[in-house]
Amino acid sequence: LTLWPSSNLRTRLTFWYVGLLAVLLLVYATLVFVFQYAVLTKQIAHDEIQDVVTVEGLLYFDGNGALQLRQDYYSRPQSHLLVDRLMEVRDASGAVLYRSSTLNGMGLGGSLEPGEGDADFGERLVRLADGTRVLRISHVHGMSGRQLVIRLGYSLAPLQARMLQFLLVLLLAVPVALVIAGAAGHEIARRALRPVERMASRAEGITATNLHDRLEIANPKDELGQLATVFNHLLDRLDQSFQQLQRFTADAAHELRTPLAALRTIGEVTLQDDVEKESYKEALSSILEETSRLSETIDALLLLARAEANQGAVASKVWPLRQLVDEVLGLLEVVTEEKQILVIHDNGTDCHPKVRADRGLLRTALLNVVHNAIKFSPAGSSLRITYSSLEGVPPLIELEVQDEGPGIASGEHERVFDRFFTSSARETAGQSGAGLGLSVARLVLERLGGSIRFDPQVKSGAACIITLPALIN
Amino acid sequence: MMSVEVGMLPQSVKILIIEDDKKMSEALASGIKAVGYEVLTAGSAEEGFFLVHTQQPDLLLLDLTLPQRNGLEILRQLRNEGADLRVLILTSHNTVEDRVIGLGAGADDYLGKPFSFPELLARIDALMRRFSPAKEVMQLRVGDLCMDRKARTAHRAGETLDLTAREFDLLVYLAAYGGRTVSREMLAKDVWRETSRFTPIDNVIDVQVARLRRKIDDPFSVKLLQTIRGLGFSLREPQP
Repeated sequence: LTLWPSSNLRTRLTFWYVGLLAVLLLVYATLVFVFQYAVLTKQIAHDEIQDVVTVEGLLYFDGNGALQLRQDYYSRPQSHLLVDRLMEVRDASGAVLYRSSTLNGMGLGGSLEPGEGDADFGERLVRLADGTRVLRISHVHGMSGRQLVIRLGYSLAPLQARMLQFLLVLLLAVPVALVIAGAAGHEIARRALRPVERMASRAEGITATNLHDRLEIANPKDELGQLATVFNHLLDRLDQSFQQLQRFTADAAHELRTPLAALRTIGEVTLQDDVEKESYKEALSSILEETSRLSETIDALLLLARAEANQGAVASKVWPLRQLVDEVLGLLEVVTEEKQILVIHDNGTDCHPKVRADRGLLRTALLNVVHNAIKFSPAGSSLRITYSSLEGVPPLIELEVQDEGPGIASGEHERVFDRFFTSSARETAGQSGAGLGLSVARLVLERLGGSIRFDPQVKSGAACIITLPALIN
Repeated sequence: MMSVEVGMLPQSVKILIIEDDKKMSEALASGIKAVGYEVLTAGSAEEGFFLVHTQQPDLLLLDLTLPQRNGLEILRQLRNEGADLRVLILTSHNTVEDRVIGLGAGADDYLGKPFSFPELLARIDALMRRFSPAKEVMQLRVGDLCMDRKARTAHRAGETLDLTAREFDLLVYLAAYGGRTVSREMLAKDVWRETSRFTPIDNVIDVQVARLRRKIDDPFSVKLLQTIRGLGFSLREPQP
């Protein structure tokens, strides 16, 4: 189908269809022609044999010893004119004893061939002196003690003329049939491909503003229906990420606006009145604090973008999970010590499962989760870190971080992972950061084929459950 | 006085700032002038080239996003001409790849925007020190607080201070800046060796500084470890 890469599918389909049909028709016509010719020739030979038998009874020697053919058996005198029989009778020596008038003195083939007519009725194709082709039957016949060779034939010219006519009809009919088939094929192809055209024009109209539009599916079971279904799924995914992006942009703008508003208000209020030097210092300090928070938010957004772009393919090495968790706890040790938080390790299994991950991203995710737990833990409480293995393909390692903090308000167990989420519960007010830590953690863990959630069954404190695909040697 | 690693800066050090944002440029210029450097500013690539050739600055602070020509082009051209000056790139394009490209084009250092001003000063000092490297000072002193880097011990008013390794590193780092302010970014990068600064690290730094303060300042009447809100920390004798 690549002969004419520039032409359209419809034309190519029609071309191949017509081409195939032409070959089929030619083969068919040839077979019919050959078969017909053979059948008709056989029929002539059969007629001739019957005629030979008839003629045998009609031959006689007249008084002069010349061989004659009785003509009086015709019911009507003129009938014998219709007989286009060609006949010649020779004796064993080859001398011509009788020759029908239809031969006009020409011989029906040359001199006798050895053994001619011995075997029943010898059949042979001969050419007369005037070029007429004749199918000849030879038969040996004993009469009045003499061996006669009867040669009888019919001209093949009428048969050949008929066959020529037949051939002409065939040659005329095939192109006509092909033209009709081509036109029909083109039309059928057009109808079959019409859904594709509709899909194309529909798809062309889908842009960012109407990503929710879908292709219509006439028959979900046929190939085009499947194509449309697949295409619609693609649109679903695109639509989803697009909406997510839009939501994210709106959220980000909102979150950036909040510290900007603070910056502006602090500046304006301070400039409004003549205040002491100390007040200016105070204002500038809080402005700097706000800018610092702003730039941390931007860093977290960039980290999110990086985690989304990094599909886990790059820089993924194998790390022991326990080592990473211990490193994170080591970094935060000063904070846990200060709050007198007791960190309890509960290693359910003896094995030390390894995980495949971008170390920096996974460490950030774990740091965010553990820091989050420590942040909400009251002084003197304990933080329990539990490792356990889950059977499955692939086997999973489950890491649970359980604190004794205020816990998560009911209905917020999923929402805490939303970007820029800050809890409405009063206990956590004033302790919130940019609200991106858990979103970053979730994104990173999902990219690694893992998951993160808060156990809604746990009522005292919060239990964060992280699962990751484990590599056990 | 404090004995510091930074040492006295040669008065002749001339710094050229190529930056198209006027406010940024002015703020940088006045901040850098305040610590004793001579400062030139250029708002465009052409002006910058002119000043490089006529004034021969020792250090170039280069913004990468300039109106007509990309900062990297300027840098490559200067290096092709064999200009002898240090270059510190200041840019908001701050990924690892950007850094590699910038350093590959011939920059000596790279600082992502927004940066903390104390960090910029520290980087400038570090770049200038390459001309006359100060010797590693083993004994540091701030007021009556003494630190011995070799023995990793600290004393104040004759009393030995019981510090963890991290606390000692933090103290020495602050002392080495000779009373200058050190930002949280610098601490995260240089003391904690974290690649980026984010909320948990800030929290860790704040708690660690508070603990250090309890050990070195709380028992004494003169407080040396200062928190400068919005900026960072400094270790110095309070001004009278």
